[in-house]
Amino acid sequence: MNFVIEPIKRSKSLLLYILLVLAYSFGVFSESTGLIKEFVDTYEDWIYLLRQNVIIVFASGTTASLLGISAGILMTRPWFKRYAEAFSQSFNILSAVPTLAILAIIMTLTGLGFKSAFIGLVTVTILPVVRNTFQGISEVPEHMIEAARGQGMTDQQILWKVQIPNALYVMAAGIRTGFALNVGTSPLITLIAADSLGEYIFTGIQLNEFNSLLIGSLSVAALAIITDFTLSKLQFWLLPKGVNPQRFAQE
Amino acid sequence: MIRLENLTKHFEVPGKEPVIAANNVSMEVGKGKICIFLGPSGCGKTTALKMINKLIPKTSGKIYIDGKDTDNMDPIALRREIGYVIQQIGLFPNMTIEANICVVPDLLKLDKQQSRKKARELMEMVNLEPNIFLKRYPRELSGGQQQRIGVIRALAADPPVMLMDEPFGAIDPINREVIQDEFLKLNAELGKTVLFVSHDIDEAIKMGDTIAIFREGILEQCDTPDEILANPANSFVKEFVGTDRALKRLKLINVTEAIMPFRMVVKPDDPLDKAADKMRNREAHIAVMVGPRGRARGYITSEDIKGDQSGIVSEYIDPIPGTVHENDNLHDAVSQMYAQASDWMPVVGDDGVYKGYITQHIIASLLGEAPRKRGDKIT
Repeated sequence: MNFVIEPIKRSKSLLLYILLVLAYSFGVFSESTGLIKEFVDTYEDWIYLLRQNVIIVFASGTTASLLGISAGILMTRPWFKRYAEAFSQSFNILSAVPTLAILAIIMTLTGLGFKSAFIGLVTVTILPVVRNTFQGISEVPEHMIEAARGQGMTDQQILWKVQIPNALYVMAAGIRTGFALNVGTSPLITLIAADSLGEYIFTGIQLNEFNSLLIGSLSVAALAIITDFTLSKLQFWLLPKGVNPQRFAQE
Repeated sequence: MIRLENLTKHFEVPGKEPVIAANNVSMEVGKGKICIFLGPSGCGKTTALKMINKLIPKTSGKIYIDGKDTDNMDPIALRREIGYVIQQIGLFPNMTIEANICVVPDLLKLDKQQSRKKARELMEMVNLEPNIFLKRYPRELSGGQQQRIGVIRALAADPPVMLMDEPFGAIDPINREVIQDEFLKLNAELGKTVLFVSHDIDEAIKMGDTIAIFREGILEQCDTPDEILANPANSFVKEFVGTDRALKRLKLINVTEAIMPFRMVVKPDDPLDKAADKMRNREAHIAVMVGPRGRARGYITSEDIKGDQSGIVSEYIDPIPGTVHENDNLHDAVSQMYAQASDWMPVVGDDGVYKGYITQHIIASLLGEAPRKRGDKIT
């Protein structure tokens, strides 16, 4: 096997060739099945739906992150401690509910359209954010808090200078998970009459149009990958060096 | 100066008798002194310590710092005036070493430039190069380095009082010795009043000006290390300090304190009968022969020269069994004697110059005497 592995290890250009070959075969495949024609024909729709999809993912994801972080911080406050367990349990139960069911329930409350979709996606995204924020802050070691208190920090200062900075990495992981869920769920909002790339997918399923289905799912997949990649880069560069395991692993 | 008056703490346990973690503890620690709270785990020493900076609220009693009743002080302000070091170190991983050291100065909103400069000075005092370490993060440092930072962080705002909760307990023994020495040196310079919790009797003897021994919330004895080792107040203290307490006392006494008051020097070319006279006058058993630069070269005993007393000293000498340095303590000296199977040992100074000698006999009589305070000289 070595005579195969070694050149691969050595040559980055080999990888490039393989990618080129794959891209080429994909091009040939899509041309032969009319995928590209379909794509060009519906290009304006695609752009519109993509934009709508990105907007709702971004809007709901950001809202959910902010709400989730606030809720998570709130749950760690001493006066809230006795409800915190019940709270986090109910969040866990909520996350066990299928997302489609969540969307359906919300639709019955707020009707069809963007608003319901937005609320639904926020609900889906907020769960990991809250859970990770709560966990991240709770898991800051007791002795670190004792050191902070012993040096004369107020509760507020302990929260902002010690607990939150040291929970940032776990919180960021929660946000990434939340966004991944969000993007993954976003095609479903087509079902409650909100615009998203799901339109391609569901049209494709209903009309048995393989190309439409493929365009939709590939676009969503690409969107998911790009979102997570962007977030991971943000996580890498925005988190302070001292609490960023990726950064100190690098050194 | 810290004074505790009838300090008491009851921990309420639902459905049971309250646990008494501190029972009418009264004591006083003078300015610039190091007092060790010593005892087995669960004896209330840490509770007593944490009541001083109000991390644990006291049930009753009074705590005075520099004559001020701490009841009237805001806990936050009080803690900022007291250095606090814990066993788990508790540096904040999100901050650089510099920011960690300057936590309290920054909380007090002191001048940033000043506090940064102070941080550098403190780093140098514990032998950490500021240019290398100040911008690093805690996890890039070893445990010993981290605890050095932990100690100087407590000193950054120049508090008069320091509380240390088993600060060196988690550090490996070799590093612990070094960091203990550094701290003693540091505090000799800074003169902080230090309360120091430990469960290690050897550490207590080494570090403490006074030792307070606790058992189940009761202060059993509070005295100098030597007094505690020589005269344990009760059977608990006696057992706690160990059956080898006499040996432990050896560490408290410097070689120079046990040195014989006469040097018994002879020169290689001294006639033997003169040397014998000299020894007889002092009733000395041993005389040490020194070379031209004052270094010990050998020795003669009175037995060696009992018979024929013609000739010169250098014909009769035996090689010396080894030397001890005058700054060593008696523990080192005795260990050296046993290693060489000798009942005496010449003492030398920095440049190897012979200063006098010590014998097992004088050490034994020294330990048998009434308890001695640090710095007492024998006459």
